[in-house]
Amino acid sequence: MALLEEPIKEIKTLRNFIGGEWIESKGEIVDVVNPATCQAIARVPISTKDEIEAAVEAAQEAFPDWRTTTPLARSRCLFRLKELLEENFEEVSRIQTQEHGKTIDESRGETRRGIENVEVACGIPTLMQGYFSEDIATGIDEWVIPTPLGVFGIIGPFNFPFMIPLWSAPYAVATGNCVIIKPSSEVPLSQTRLAELADEAGFPPGVWNLVHGGRTVVNGMLDHPGIEGIVFVGSTPTAKDVIYPRCGATGKRVIAQGGAKNFMVIMPDCKVKRTIPALMTSFFGNAGQRCLSGANLVIVGEDDRFYNSFMNGVTDTASKIIVGYGLDESVQMGPVRDTEKKERIIGYIESGIQQGAKLRLDGRADIKIVGNYPDTCFLGPTILENVAPDTKCGSEEIFGPVMSVMRAKNLDEAIEMCNANSFGNAHAIFTSSGQYAREFQYRVTSGNVGINIGVVAPMAFFPFSGMKDSFFGILHTQGQEAVRFFTESKVVIQRWL
Amino acid sequence: MNLHTASEIISFAKKLENESAKFYEGLAERYSKDKDVFLAFAEENGKNVTQIERAYYGVITDAIESCFAFDIEPDEYMFSTELADNASYSNALNKAEEIEQKMVNFYSDAAEQSKSLMADVPRIFAIVARKRSNRIPKLKSLVEKGGQ
Repeated sequence: MALLEEPIKEIKTLRNFIGGEWIESKGEIVDVVNPATCQAIARVPISTKDEIEAAVEAAQEAFPDWRTTTPLARSRCLFRLKELLEENFEEVSRIQTQEHGKTIDESRGETRRGIENVEVACGIPTLMQGYFSEDIATGIDEWVIPTPLGVFGIIGPFNFPFMIPLWSAPYAVATGNCVIIKPSSEVPLSQTRLAELADEAGFPPGVWNLVHGGRTVVNGMLDHPGIEGIVFVGSTPTAKDVIYPRCGATGKRVIAQGGAKNFMVIMPDCKVKRTIPALMTSFFGNAGQRCLSGANLVIVGEDDRFYNSFMNGVTDTASKIIVGYGLDESVQMGPVRDTEKKERIIGYIESGIQQGAKLRLDGRADIKIVGNYPDTCFLGPTILENVAPDTKCGSEEIFGPVMSVMRAKNLDEAIEMCNANSFGNAHAIFTSSGQYAREFQYRVTSGNVGINIGVVAPMAFFPFSGMKDSFFGILHTQGQEAVRFFTESKVVIQRWL
Repeated sequence: MNLHTASEIISFAKKLENESAKFYEGLAERYSKDKDVFLAFAEENGKNVTQIERAYYGVITDAIESCFAFDIEPDEYMFSTELADNASYSNALNKAEEIEQKMVNFYSDAAEQSKSLMADVPRIFAIVARKRSNRIPKLKSLVEKGGQ
């Protein structure tokens, strides 16, 4: 199958978008590398403290006018952005594949999910309406007005470079706030394109800002008194030990989404033919680099015949997954983002084996890459059996295409295994029984719960939840919760004398 | 090699629609008495592509099994659009019928296999399968009317 055309053809140095202008950074410049080809596709600046401060200043300056722009007019900017994203859908998707390595179907899926958030935020004239009570006492009325707060910082991860900032940015600007987005410096291209489209959509200068970089920019956001809140999606150690406490210390609102270790619970009455493709997407989609990925496969029951036949089906399907460059339409799984991540994943596989797991499918060795690409960042699907839930491999987030298989005597034991883990992001059950499904949904401590769904990704009009070590904060991204996060409730009590 | 991803299936459907549209445009030039029927078919092929793409781009999300839903052997649905210089009108219509049958088979199988995707995708495949299948009696009637 021929490769789809690459939209990024020449290496450019990216610039920051501050106050409606594209500004060259004075920071160090590093290469952005396509993990499939191992070739540099852009250069990204690691911006300085002065540059993030300039962005905050520009956003603060833009806020008063934007706040008094009517919600209807603000939503029109979002409608224009939505149209521009549809017009540039394919280009934006292919950029994601180039910068991240995911397959083109996955990138298009990511683009669609991002656009859906813009669509939901377009409804802001009704989404941010307050409420009113007449006569709370005779002749006295009371009402609440959701009001914007000012400037918000959005810090994106590497695994969904385009979509994740869109879980929050459209709601932030729709409610009358200004944003500064800092994408991961590993994958900064799709956010750069998004900022170009936001500019074209007509957001006034300073409403939508983009600052490339690393820790200096993050620290600059966390410390700046002019930033009202932070939305962060990334690893649990950073969410828990850096973002959450420092937002608390500086009085900022915070949404800090961390990692996951999701359990996929297989009941013997599941529909095997439909369950296996769902598991392939869950464990190996996006090369396992998502917080909604399946990590542990728990097969319930003591029936060895079911276990063996199910695992034969899973292994056979996984072993046939086509690995390669995601712009080849036949490819079902792309590379992991970089060599450091690959080494980390391999370390987990090795620790699993050392701690007694049996290697059923070895993604380090059994890998055939379609096309003539270096194997630098590629790993095949790996299946480890007999993994104990309290081992490193069974309890920690691997963030790669590794399935750790374990068995549970019954549903009670499976639920206990899920709940004993420190994460609580997206556990799922596969069953034909409503009773099992309800029991699982009711008892499992997980922000998102799947019933015969392997990737429990809430739609834009539902919150993207998370519990325990997967989430730090109160309100979540997306939909109504995002509207509440980005607004303060002003209560008015009125009496005419 | 079999086709597995939604992206491959959409590209393959586009290729089949475009090839069969060209075939009908050729028939319209060659057999002018039923030109309108053939041109209408070719135009409908273009609309099919638009509808399929709209459904795919409209509902695709990273959360569904877009990379793992299909197992389609493309050779089973490929067809030749070549007609010999001395081919009779009846030969041409028979070839058209063969093409339509292959298209019906492809769309029906794609609809069946994409049931794990969001409903809009199998639904549009089934709709196009039905549209292509409706062409077969139309082609047969042309044969009966004077394709000999």
